Amino acid sequence: MNSQNAISRRTVLRGIGCAMSLPWLEAMGPLTNWTLGGETARPAPNRMAFMYVPNGVNMADWKPASEGTGFELPAILKPLEGVRDDILVLSGLTADKARPHGDGGGDHARAMSAFLTGAQPRKTDGADIRAGISVDQVAASRLADQTRLASLEIGCESGAMAGNCDSGYSCVYSSTMSWRSSTTPMPKETNPRLVFERMFGSGTNSQRVKRTARQRSLLDFVREDSGDLSRKLGTTDRRKLDEYFTAVRDIEMRMERAEKLPEPKLPDGFQKPGNTPAVYGDHLRIMSDLLVLAFQADVTRVSTFVLANEGSNKPYPFIGIREGHHDLSHHGGDMKKKEKLRDINTFHMTQMAYLLGKLKSIPEGDGTLLDHCTIVYGSGNSDGNRHNHDDLPVLLAGKACGTIKTGRHLVFPKGKDTPLNNLWVSMLDRVKAGVDTLGDSTGRLPGLTG
Amino acid sequence: MKFWPRRYWIRIAMALALGTLLAQRAIPAPPAAEPVAVSAGGAGTAPADYARIHTFLQAHCIECHGPTKQKGDLALHVYKDVKSIVKDRKVWEKVLEKVRGGEMPPKKKKPRPDPVETEAFARTIEGVFYEADKNAKPDPGQVTIRRLNRTEYNNTIRDLVGVDFKPAEDFPSDDIGQGFDNIGDVLSISPVLMERYLAAADAVMRRAIPDQLPKPMVHRVGPLFLKPNLRPRDFPGLKFRPIVDTRKLRTSYALPGEGEHLLRVKAWYERPDGDWGEGDEPAAKLGLWVDGKLVQSFDVLAGEKSPDLCETKLNLKTGEHQFAISFLNPGGEDSGRALRVGTFEIHGPADTRPASQIMLLACDPNLPEHERTRAVLRRFAARAYRRPVSSEEVERIAQLADQVQAQGGKWESAIQFAMEGVLISPKFLFRVELDDRPDSSGQHAIGDYPLASRLSYFLWSTMPDAELFDLAAKGKLHEDAVLEQQVRRMLADPKSHALVDNFAMQWLQIRRLKTFAPDTGMFPDFNEQLRQAMFTETSMFVDAVFREDRSIIDLIDGDFTFLNERLARHYEIADTNGNPAWDKEIAPKGQPIRGEGFVRVHLADRNRGGVLTQASVLSVTSNPTRTSPVKRGKFVLEQILGVPPPPPPPNVPQLPESATAVASGSLRHRMEQHRADPNCANCHEHMDGIGFAFENFNAVGKFRAKDAGFEIDPSGTMPDGKAFRGPAELKKMLSGQKSLFSRCLTKKLLTYALGRGVEYYDQPTVEAIVSALSRNDYKFSTLVVGIAKSDPFRQRRGKEQSQ
Repeated sequence: MNSQNAISRRTVLRGIGCAMSLPWLEAMGPLTNWTLGGETARPAPNRMAFMYVPNGVNMADWKPASEGTGFELPAILKPLEGVRDDILVLSGLTADKARPHGDGGGDHARAMSAFLTGAQPRKTDGADIRAGISVDQVAASRLADQTRLASLEIGCESGAMAGNCDSGYSCVYSSTMSWRSSTTPMPKETNPRLVFERMFGSGTNSQRVKRTARQRSLLDFVREDSGDLSRKLGTTDRRKLDEYFTAVRDIEMRMERAEKLPEPKLPDGFQKPGNTPAVYGDHLRIMSDLLVLAFQADVTRVSTFVLANEGSNKPYPFIGIREGHHDLSHHGGDMKKKEKLRDINTFHMTQMAYLLGKLKSIPEGDGTLLDHCTIVYGSGNSDGNRHNHDDLPVLLAGKACGTIKTGRHLVFPKGKDTPLNNLWVSMLDRVKAGVDTLGDSTGRLPGLTG
Repeated sequence: MKFWPRRYWIRIAMALALGTLLAQRAIPAPPAAEPVAVSAGGAGTAPADYARIHTFLQAHCIECHGPTKQKGDLALHVYKDVKSIVKDRKVWEKVLEKVRGGEMPPKKKKPRPDPVETEAFARTIEGVFYEADKNAKPDPGQVTIRRLNRTEYNNTIRDLVGVDFKPAEDFPSDDIGQGFDNIGDVLSISPVLMERYLAAADAVMRRAIPDQLPKPMVHRVGPLFLKPNLRPRDFPGLKFRPIVDTRKLRTSYALPGEGEHLLRVKAWYERPDGDWGEGDEPAAKLGLWVDGKLVQSFDVLAGEKSPDLCETKLNLKTGEHQFAISFLNPGGEDSGRALRVGTFEIHGPADTRPASQIMLLACDPNLPEHERTRAVLRRFAARAYRRPVSSEEVERIAQLADQVQAQGGKWESAIQFAMEGVLISPKFLFRVELDDRPDSSGQHAIGDYPLASRLSYFLWSTMPDAELFDLAAKGKLHEDAVLEQQVRRMLADPKSHALVDNFAMQWLQIRRLKTFAPDTGMFPDFNEQLRQAMFTETSMFVDAVFREDRSIIDLIDGDFTFLNERLARHYEIADTNGNPAWDKEIAPKGQPIRGEGFVRVHLADRNRGGVLTQASVLSVTSNPTRTSPVKRGKFVLEQILGVPPPPPPPNVPQLPESATAVASGSLRHRMEQHRADPNCANCHEHMDGIGFAFENFNAVGKFRAKDAGFEIDPSGTMPDGKAFRGPAELKKMLSGQKSLFSRCLTKKLLTYALGRGVEYYDQPTVEAIVSALSRNDYKFSTLVVGIAKSDPFRQRRGKEQSQ
């Protein structure tokens, strides 16, 4: 893993353009002690976030024509022009476990739940939900003691309202990318107000202290009181009960950390957000703002962000697209549909560009916040029409504290099925997770350091 | 490429044909027991069945899954008889799936079995399973401990604590399995949810037992405003109003709460200076009247400088009351004597504790505090855990209260805190079915308390009420007659609307309406009012079918619905007799449909009527810009007939560009072109065939004669080949499929009731209910009672049971 640190930080940090102008992030004091090299300055930590877009993309407008540096940005990647030196496009990666392997239809459900886990989701509409632990949760468990929240799961589309999400798969598979264990999906929060309250709490300081004390005794009580329960429960029921107590322990650990860690600071003028905005674009913006804030204030170092659920059939009327996204993704080769698909893909990429721009506008230590991040953007489907899970659209942004050489297009040979999970293992190295395999990984992904 | 060709549709056709047959014979039978190419009479004898299976295996499977090779770790030669096949059911279900799906034998292997041969093989295996199920050891299945979902949490808090403010609103959404959001295996607890539980318990208990009670309310009436009132500008600055005769000063007020009230008025006695007339009394008598009765008289001696305070405490009921003040011993206008009265005040009710607090803290005041704590908490925990609680449990909860008091908190705060503990306990959040033999694989009846919970969450989506608890305590609930009587009582209770909100709205996928976003350019008149009206129509319609105990077949083709003005306009219906809005010569005329309220409407034109032709269902099965005959057809097959089409093959082949050159023509015309591809034709011909019946309804359920300028052709065929034209004819055909529909609905409702998927061993239960329905005019209550009395509902078992 040390080999990744071999290149000098200076080298990779060269050529970072000037920050974009963004209102609330400017002119504010440091929020963390590595922000501006004071006396207590420490090197900035590595953060990672995973952004998911559904239904694959129109690959012809995604994949750069040339490899290496200096490639031309295809239509969908155009919004990234301002941060092109901060991105690394990865072509030719495969999520093999999203393939049927005898399970028949359900590519959307599998695409989402295999994306970060590299595990074959069990085909079930109810009994025994199972996928695998996801890369973000491995990282989260490793970094848990550093921040108030081990991880932050957010999204802009809540779970499905009705069953039958995808051919015999429970809806949980197509709406959840983060899995704490193979049987515990981590639901995402879609309400900006609630995300903010998770990060910064609600009420005054003294109210919070009081509340914590109360909650502690309550949690002690349930632990003590429920000891007699498992004797009278069957095996599967005990498993559910374990889930409960894992959550209880989680909260207790968070309380302990909150006591040890400094109070998170809020940038001046940051408005506490309200409930979910009606307009999708506004919703994406505010969630991006919150993600940036979480990293900036060091509330967490790991996050997943689902832009829309897999198989989502949202129309995008505000960019002139009246048809549902999923319907369009089955374009059948129709050029008009492909163009509309490209426009949706580009719209989502604009949100990514906004997020990256913000991260880059925040100075931190020897560079910017973006330099100390790896932001993954991608889908578990490649072409939505074919439902293929090889040659996935995946790109990274940020230099992961100087351990990733950006501004390039890396191509892994087609037909070789290089596991996407090899990328995850390599990313876990960068937070010193000490993990050699994850899901269907076969090793580490070569070439990230250049 | 694998497809779901003729074989599947043969199955459906057979099922449809058999459905009709069954309705006549009213006997349970397997949905598809009649093998195509084998001897009639359903599954044959076991050796004959095995011989048929064996022949197929030898010809097509053993080469790769036999003694020499075991591809995919599968060896099929080891199965020497029907019994061994039944024993390894899971393996053989997979075999069935692969063979039927055309995935096996692999394409490249020659010779391929012909479809008739394959179907015969599959049906033989099905027949074997069916026979086995009929004779199988009864098995109630295993239900995973269920945590309350958001709806159940809200409702349970409402009934347990008496505060109704939907605390679960901020919880993460519940995951869905088997089409419903109450499936035990799928409902998990994440750290976020646990945080929300803590916050909700805090918020709920602070509302139920507030930290600080509000001061009693005061209602004041100035002297000029007592009736008959005076104009203030005629009497500037008048603080005390004179009364000189027997006429009363009156006022009325609607009291917001019940209980002790304080009535107060200041008064002084005005008399001629130093000159007491003969017979003058030393005091003026002030009379206070409530609702026409003199409640008290006061002697007023004071002069202007320090008026007397006249006040009294009274128990008064909520609502309008008449209050009056009078001078009981006046001297008349010329006497120079007057009773001067000031502002009249009503304080109260004195007890400002919310009803929840009074209910939760009610106890014998003579008990020592220590015991009161225990009594109050025992009662609360027993209701929260939905079973009697042990003394140890009470003691542990009470210690939470003791902690607060030890730190100087008052008793109310102590109880508030202890109850918070109860609300985050897994014993409350999960529907725990305590069992002395939790891992015993034998089936055994659940106790009366778990049964009470199963009933109440099934029919009401909330905790049991006092009557259910009472019957459970007496150990009577499980008795057949008692159980049935309770189910009927619960169905009659308004709380059973939960079955509409939570079961029917999920079954019919109406919850998707909330996020349905039709293109505003194409459907400019779609707005929130219309969305809400669509939702309400279906909700009220289904509620009527359930509540009036109608035939479930009415759900498919009822002759009535509920409309408000907005939706009636959408449907172009003029009045409550369902006359069309464009027909001026209407008779008999009904009441016009006006305003936001919904009225019951008789439907003369049967193209509307039943859930399938309601705008809600028509919308959720549409795309944002156009109708989707595929989705509508699939909806009918899946949700109504219970014969879901096979999932699309994992890799839909890309159509060659030339084939998709956009043709002009109606949607139907274009789709038919699309189906020129033989790969798609087989399945879509039938799915679309049903869907086309609804083409006269656009993507928001409005009637139309043309699509994109082309006349609509709403004709189609059922998978069994019967032709129909338009929704009315299709619904008529569907209504004839009573057996299929009732089997489908039974399975859906059973899934919802049990919180688990329906398994093969539930087959006898399902068939028994279907048969009972056919004997009882398909009445809804027969279905519900059938489920409540069934073995899977009343029994449980532990570990996996082997066949």
